[in-house]
Amino acid sequence: MAVAAGAAGALAVLLAGCLPQPASTQGASIASLYQVFIAGGVVVTAIVWGLATWALIRYRRRGDELPTQVRGNVPIEAIWTLTPLVAVLGLFALTLGSLQVVDANDPSAVQLDVTAFRWGWQVTYPSNGRTVSSLTGGSVAIVVPTDRRIQISLSSADVNHAFFVPAFLFKKDAIPGRPTSFEIDVPNAGTYPGACAEYCGIGHDAMPFTIVAVSGSTFDAWLATGHLAGEGAPSP
Amino acid sequence: MIAWLSATDHKRIGVLYIVTAFGFMVLAGLMAEGIRTELAQPGLQLVDPNTYAQLFTIHGTLMMLFFAGPLAIGFANYLVPLQVGAADMAFPRLNALSYWLFLFGGLIIVSGFLTSSGAAAVGWTAYAPLSELPYAPAPGMDLWIAGVVLVGFSGILGSLNFIVTIYARRAPGMTMFRLPLFTWSMLVTAVLILVAFPSVTAAGAMLFIDRHLGGAFFDPARGGDAILWQHLFWFFGHPEVYIVVLPYFGIVSEVVPVFSRKPLFGYRAMIFSLVAIAGLSMGVWAHHMFTTGVVFLPFFSLLSLFIAVPTGIKIFNWIATMWRGSIRLTVPMLWCIGLIYVFTIGGITGVMVASPPIDFQAQDTYFVVAHLHNVLIGGTVFAGFAGVYFWFPKITGRFLDERLGRLHWASWVIGFALTFVPQYELGVLGMPRRVADYAPTAGWTELNLVSTLGAVVLGLGMLPFLAAVVIALRQAPTAEPDPWGGNSLEWAADSPPKRHNFDWLPPIRSERPVFDARLAAERGGEPRERGDGETRGGAVRAPGRSNPEAGPA
Repeated sequence: MAVAAGAAGALAVLLAGCLPQPASTQGASIASLYQVFIAGGVVVTAIVWGLATWALIRYRRRGDELPTQVRGNVPIEAIWTLTPLVAVLGLFALTLGSLQVVDANDPSAVQLDVTAFRWGWQVTYPSNGRTVSSLTGGSVAIVVPTDRRIQISLSSADVNHAFFVPAFLFKKDAIPGRPTSFEIDVPNAGTYPGACAEYCGIGHDAMPFTIVAVSGSTFDAWLATGHLAGEGAPSP
Repeated sequence: MIAWLSATDHKRIGVLYIVTAFGFMVLAGLMAEGIRTELAQPGLQLVDPNTYAQLFTIHGTLMMLFFAGPLAIGFANYLVPLQVGAADMAFPRLNALSYWLFLFGGLIIVSGFLTSSGAAAVGWTAYAPLSELPYAPAPGMDLWIAGVVLVGFSGILGSLNFIVTIYARRAPGMTMFRLPLFTWSMLVTAVLILVAFPSVTAAGAMLFIDRHLGGAFFDPARGGDAILWQHLFWFFGHPEVYIVVLPYFGIVSEVVPVFSRKPLFGYRAMIFSLVAIAGLSMGVWAHHMFTTGVVFLPFFSLLSLFIAVPTGIKIFNWIATMWRGSIRLTVPMLWCIGLIYVFTIGGITGVMVASPPIDFQAQDTYFVVAHLHNVLIGGTVFAGFAGVYFWFPKITGRFLDERLGRLHWASWVIGFALTFVPQYELGVLGMPRRVADYAPTAGWTELNLVSTLGAVVLGLGMLPFLAAVVIALRQAPTAEPDPWGGNSLEWAADSPPKRHNFDWLPPIRSERPVFDARLAAERGGEPRERGDGETRGGAVRAPGRSNPEAGPA
């Protein structure tokens, strides 16, 4: 049990400490929700493991005497029914709050149409028709501005895929015949790796992409010319 | 041999189920070792991506549909007639048919490896359109569909049999609220199977029609809907995860009272929580589809979160059963205690992924892989081993060696932690599931290596178990009818029981008839009337104690 206890403690520390630094405002909301759930989980684990460990140590068999044959205790059972009920309702309220942040819409968002295929991504900017795409096994850089909301519309040319950026703590499925979309704010310039998260065949692990977040003016220049100022052209 | 092939006795069919389920478990476990070996280091060393996909597809399919479920059905075949005081199942030949459908369903799926293009390679969830003919032309996919449909029928027929047996074959005095918790859990599970299995059986047939008979249910290119498959699959798939957990909760509810020498705390609350979990489990299927963007998130999130409440009741009631008890740390009890510690973590991470924003991160990453193995190993498998060590003397008349059993238990607790705790972290870091390879620069190498070492510990941990079984079977049977001080009626039968199970039954006046009879024999009189579990909060006076008042304060 000591091993399991140590492992669970380590798990809690790792999970809370090693969440990726959120690169989007939506991801920051998800990260703080994660931390609330982990904190609650540590409390519940401490209660359950503490009670179980106490029972194991205190009530080990010491003789042949039959213990008192208790069959139940309604008040105590009510406590451990109602307390978790209130707790999950609280977690549900926090979930709804975070969903409002993650699902919020901004009609002025920059549009990106992303089509997943076996095995790569094609990205079109409908405002001027610029298109970039990856070849199987290669990566594609998806350039986005840091000063504007971005709306990514997802579709698939063949089977189910999922657009996953670990630094956004977020993914969304790309489903053939069922277009989906999500919106994201990426306030800081940087390069954030992404991958397909839904199994789509033998090339599933070989369709990486990167989100390249640049300032608004750099983005506008890139959209007009296809050249990324100061950093050279994005890798194909 | 012929006797076993033509067996209709519930005990023989139960043993066939249990042995076959463990056979599939060993096979699927070897596939898992292959998966973990491949992932120990970046780069492809052991298998190519297609073989890798076959391994994780058949591993998942066998473990879910041909090990976790059938092992429970095996215990239930053996125990339900004994626990209700019957001579056999209601429909013995239907029972045999269920077993053979299950066995050949599994063999048909595994036979895909013998075809030139290999077994199904689309994941155990077989998402369309990846499982449609253009993307999965191999006959292994059709063999997978055939096997799933066969095991679907096996489950449906078996469930009817259990429901009828439990309602109609109870001995005089065995009212519904005197049934042992394991039998109750099988009744609830059988109802869940009847609701859930037709969905996947139909989905399998529809996929076959799509592939070979010109249908287009799931093919958007021809007017079908890829999401329909996910609804049909998860309408089965989420009840399924409770189908493979509830019977095991039943096992824990049998073992913990015996080795605490107390009645199960909150007997009726345990039954109502079973029913609550089953009811809720039919309304949560789309929590597997939070990232599809086509389901109403708050509804499925709230119902999923609610499941934590009845599950928590079960864990607290097990601890309360141990409270002020007289605990013997036998091997079956160790497995149950391990379950209380480990399953709690799986329950908590289950609450996490029930929250859609968290699931947006965790879905299809190693976090979910760790969560599902946490509940299936820390719940299903731990309790399954508890059941094997607990009932092995009843089934064979022989005992499994305690020291080998403790070694088996310790290596699985340690192996579990080493394998799956790193996977939680890998998921948080963003490692997707079902990848055969990952970049050396991803920062996942060390955690994957630890996880693989854990899988080796789990694999080696099976050796003391197999050794204990072989050693036990080479000895002469010595077990008394009731070696542990049991509660339910199977402990009134011989070890192993006669063909017709019972020559006599003790009076059934509570959910613990064998306990009552033993107590009465010690006191030299009839067992005391104490109601059928309605005297909650009351206490039976223990010999030698002046104050019967007690509560788990």
